[in-house]
Amino acid sequence: MSGLELDGVAVAYGDTTAVKDLSLSVESGELFCLLGPSGSGKSTVLRAIAGFETPDRGRVTIGADTVTGAPPYDRDCSMVFQDWALFPQQTVLENVAFGPKMDGVDRETREARAREMLELVEMTGHESDRPAELSGGQKQRVALARSLAVDPELLLLDEPLSNLDRKLRETMQLELKRIHDRVGTTMVYVTHDQDEAFTLADRMAVMDEGRLVQVGVPERVYDDPADRFVESFLGTTNFVAATVERAGDCPRLSTPMGPSFEAPIDGDGLASGDDVTVSLRPERLAVSAGSAPAAVDGGVSARPGGSGRVAATGAVVETIHRGSDVRVRLSVGDAELFVEQSAAAAVRLSPGDDVTVEFAPSDATYFDAAGGRCR
Amino acid sequence: MSLSDARSTLGVPSLSARWRTVALLLPLAALNTGVFLVPMAYLLRLSFTARTPQGAFVEGSLSLDGYRYVAETPLVHDIFGFTLLFGVLVTALAVVVSVLYAYAAWRAAGGWRALLLGGAVLSLFTTIVVKLFAVVLVFSPRGVLNDALTELGVIASPLLLIDNLAGAVIAQLYIVVPYGVLAVYAVLSTLDDRQVEAALDLGADRPRVFREVVLPHARPGIAVAGIISFTWSVGAYPAPLLLGSGSEQTTAILVSQLLLTDFDWPAAAAVAVVTVAVVLTTLVVGLRRFASGGELLG
Repeated sequence: MSGLELDGVAVAYGDTTAVKDLSLSVESGELFCLLGPSGSGKSTVLRAIAGFETPDRGRVTIGADTVTGAPPYDRDCSMVFQDWALFPQQTVLENVAFGPKMDGVDRETREARAREMLELVEMTGHESDRPAELSGGQKQRVALARSLAVDPELLLLDEPLSNLDRKLRETMQLELKRIHDRVGTTMVYVTHDQDEAFTLADRMAVMDEGRLVQVGVPERVYDDPADRFVESFLGTTNFVAATVERAGDCPRLSTPMGPSFEAPIDGDGLASGDDVTVSLRPERLAVSAGSAPAAVDGGVSARPGGSGRVAATGAVVETIHRGSDVRVRLSVGDAELFVEQSAAAAVRLSPGDDVTVEFAPSDATYFDAAGGRCR
Repeated sequence: MSLSDARSTLGVPSLSARWRTVALLLPLAALNTGVFLVPMAYLLRLSFTARTPQGAFVEGSLSLDGYRYVAETPLVHDIFGFTLLFGVLVTALAVVVSVLYAYAAWRAAGGWRALLLGGAVLSLFTTIVVKLFAVVLVFSPRGVLNDALTELGVIASPLLLIDNLAGAVIAQLYIVVPYGVLAVYAVLSTLDDRQVEAALDLGADRPRVFREVVLPHARPGIAVAGIISFTWSVGAYPAPLLLGSGSEQTTAILVSQLLLTDFDWPAAAAVAVVTVAVVLTTLVVGLRRFASGGELLG
């Protein structure tokens, strides 16, 4: 039995369809992330699961219960909101005990349960405080405790950390993971922050414009993107516009960087002259100073000029120092690329330096003119 | 450095700044004094004059005649009793109606909400006496309501809703409820939807959401509605006069009778002063009790 199942769910607001025919299965006990940009429909999906939106089509199943159309208070799930939505006139203890109170639990039992939850989120001692007296991070913990107090089958989190500053966010992410490990509740976590999804998710889904683009384990989604949108949304990459020089199996591509090379894809549907986008992740590019192909890549030396590797020459345009690393912008032929160097790297590049860029064609990912993946 | 510069650097309001504040407050103070304080002072003075059958009052006298009248006349006690009862009854009903009406308006979608709020506000545009005659038209034995109910077969004989306590209460409600609605609605509109959703999510159905989330949030608005209703109803004049019978006499009606018919100004003034004192005391005691029990206006 899965923790959550969505079957062909579609939600429309007037003329616009916020969610289009979405099907998803989350395993019991999994921490599942829904990742996507603003407007992708991820919050709408969450609200449809919680019961605040009614799907026009499709079915929502939580555990063994089909809950489509049921009101929020009849569903065995609870939600942690982005702005926490704590009840301002109640104390922290009363807030956390609210769910059990609605279930008819007597005062003594529900207060004991609330204290237990507050201990779980490390907020013991704040029972008589009011929400207005708490910091953002503390409110977050209380909101989490409140949602867990009802022992839900499914916990929904709607970008709960986006109102916190970066340091606090990172701490809370690890806290959430710890709590998830301890409690084992199935969780669906919505975020637009890819780092957050990678930190937290057992599995994740990428959403774009109301549809599910790809589902999988984070590393897999990163290494093997379904389309150009996923590739560009996760991490950073260099997109190089290439043209098919010679079609067929392993088509030859010409690029504005200078050299042409054979792409290890099967070339079906690609004709001579077609546009192909080549994605080169900065961590896959070996950059060395000078025009000689002896590559030093952040400390790991690559076989110089080895067979199958593509080398191109260019120059450094700009270096942007970002504390622990340096982003180096390069002009290679007619293309603009960037790589990232550790600030402690042995060889520091400066604007104007000549460089050689090397990569293996198998390390790049290829997309056709429509954004689909070429394999 | 001049003295005013030195003072402003030190955080002490300079002389010119203070004069400016005084100058700005002067018009308001003058208005308050002229329109409110002076007449009240005059009323207070008047209540301590001697009664006389030869005129309104004895000029320049100092006497407790008026207050003795209040203390010794059983009719006046009855009237005070009724006035307070009337005030409490109308306030209780007004608060309930205002809360339900404002809640309905708040929950309503666009057009309906505009209609509900517009209806409440619209009634404020008509003068009181005209409004009250409208109430008569609707609620009289041959009025709109009774005709409709008889037509529908709901009642056999018309309901007696004017010229009695019911009439006075209905009329007074019609006067104060719009203000109550606006007061409660103003506070309700600041309620975060997310809190309602959180409550629903945690297992509260709509009635419980109302009890646990909406009402506590609306407390300040309810308090204002209660205060408006109470002070207005204890001082009620046109509603009980036009839609009540002889047994629905409030202190305001008594004052006007003493003043204009009996020409007994010390007595009238004394009744008025006692009424004001009673209302103020009730408000202070009531607010103190509320405030100590929790944050009323916070």
